[in-house]
Amino acid sequence: MEIDVVCDDVYGGEAYGKLFETIIGDIGKSFMIAKAKLVLKPEVPLFVFSVILKNAPGCKTMSDAVSFREEGDELHISISNERYAPDVLSNLWQKFGRPNVQQQTRFDLIVTGAKQADVEDMVISTGEEAVEEILGAFWRALPEGIRVRDALIDGKVITVVATEEIMIQERKEMGLAVHKEMIKEGEAILDV
Amino acid sequence: MFEVMMYDGGVYRSAELFEAIEDVGGTVLHINRSAQMLMVTMSIPEEDRHVIEGIAKEIGGDIRSVPLAGTEIAVIGCTLGRHHMPHPVCDIAEAMRQGGAISVVMGLARGRGKSTSQISKREISIIDEYDAAIFMLGNFKPCVEAKRTLLEDISAPVILVSGPMPDGMEDCCEAIVSGVGRKAERMKSSEERAKLAEISEAVNQVLLRKKRQLEEDPLFIHPAELKLLLESYEPIDMCLRPAPIVLHLDGLRVKIPYREHKDYFDNLEVYGRKLPEIADIIESKLEDSSTLIKIRTMSQIEDMDRQAKE
Repeated sequence: MEIDVVCDDVYGGEAYGKLFETIIGDIGKSFMIAKAKLVLKPEVPLFVFSVILKNAPGCKTMSDAVSFREEGDELHISISNERYAPDVLSNLWQKFGRPNVQQQTRFDLIVTGAKQADVEDMVISTGEEAVEEILGAFWRALPEGIRVRDALIDGKVITVVATEEIMIQERKEMGLAVHKEMIKEGEAILDV
Repeated sequence: MFEVMMYDGGVYRSAELFEAIEDVGGTVLHINRSAQMLMVTMSIPEEDRHVIEGIAKEIGGDIRSVPLAGTEIAVIGCTLGRHHMPHPVCDIAEAMRQGGAISVVMGLARGRGKSTSQISKREISIIDEYDAAIFMLGNFKPCVEAKRTLLEDISAPVILVSGPMPDGMEDCCEAIVSGVGRKAERMKSSEERAKLAEISEAVNQVLLRKKRQLEEDPLFIHPAELKLLLESYEPIDMCLRPAPIVLHLDGLRVKIPYREHKDYFDNLEVYGRKLPEIADIIESKLEDSSTLIKIRTMSQIEDMDRQAKE
């Protein structure tokens, strides 16, 4: 993850860059972010945090994370993306009940009485969750007193403008300018 | 001046150590025995250190200084929110404990923000109960400087820890340690450990100044000596709270409610005088289940005696 920090306070800028990197790493979302830009103006105070995601957040269905094989009235499921394993399991438990879902190994499941057609379109992760988690990390990284916040989300770009004072138009526009700049940069980054 | 030290060794011939402590006029503050191992925290006259060191060496133990022993230190963050806790506030509190102090972590109710941060009168009076207060502020210079209002009215010695070195704050704190700002992870690198050692040293220097002041006009009774008297009182002896008696430089915190035990405190005899004659006994502002005893100095007692005669 590339982090670009714009700040006149050398110590504060460096410290916040590191803090942001640690917090995003803590929530396990570093892999989703292609670039981050932090504009820090503590003297105003105004903070703009913006990130370009590697992919636009979207729904993940069961077929994105597992492969299927039907045998009689049993459906054999093999998890190919470990990150979604807990979501796959909890969704299957919810729909078919725990007694009907056997976990053979870490990645292999057998579901009794299930058909591939019933399972493959089940939503296991919505894009909203990822965005919520990234916004949560922004709240955590921003100074606690900077409570007046505005979030801008467009495709792959998430931006938060925050201040301690009233969010006047001028400050909003400063955040919007960073957001637009990041959208432009995001267009040049190919989806992974 | 008295120096607080810790003996770490075996129980073998430990009676000789205790005898030597008594001979030099020192006091045992704390004994921790585990099987054949023994740790003794003691307060002894500075000039007799070599006597104790000699005996400890002879009986196969180690003696080390715990300069912050016998003090209670508050480590204060702007709030108790996850932005300010647990790091680095708890790392600093841990460093204080390693130096022998009893450390307490606190967060202000409305300490966050640059222009909206504030401290209440009650918070100030709670902080003033401690021997020293370490204030942990953030990473931006203008924000740290704007928060000088939080420190201005505190009477206890304040050690300010912040990221950048602030300007114009020397008059509202006893020491400033820069280079430790807001963090989201433990301070475990060698540079960070060195910073923690620097904070401990700054606190030690501040407390040393307070100790030297007390040396010029000593207390009527050393807090450790008063502790020995109080320990025999059953409610204190039976108190299940950790460290039921906490030593301060100029008194003690006793973790039993003053209102319930007023008669005991009022009638306790110390060198032929009642305790209220030689100390101010007050209820803690933090919680009513603790009592603060602030021992008066010799000059205060002499002045009181003079006034009584007149």
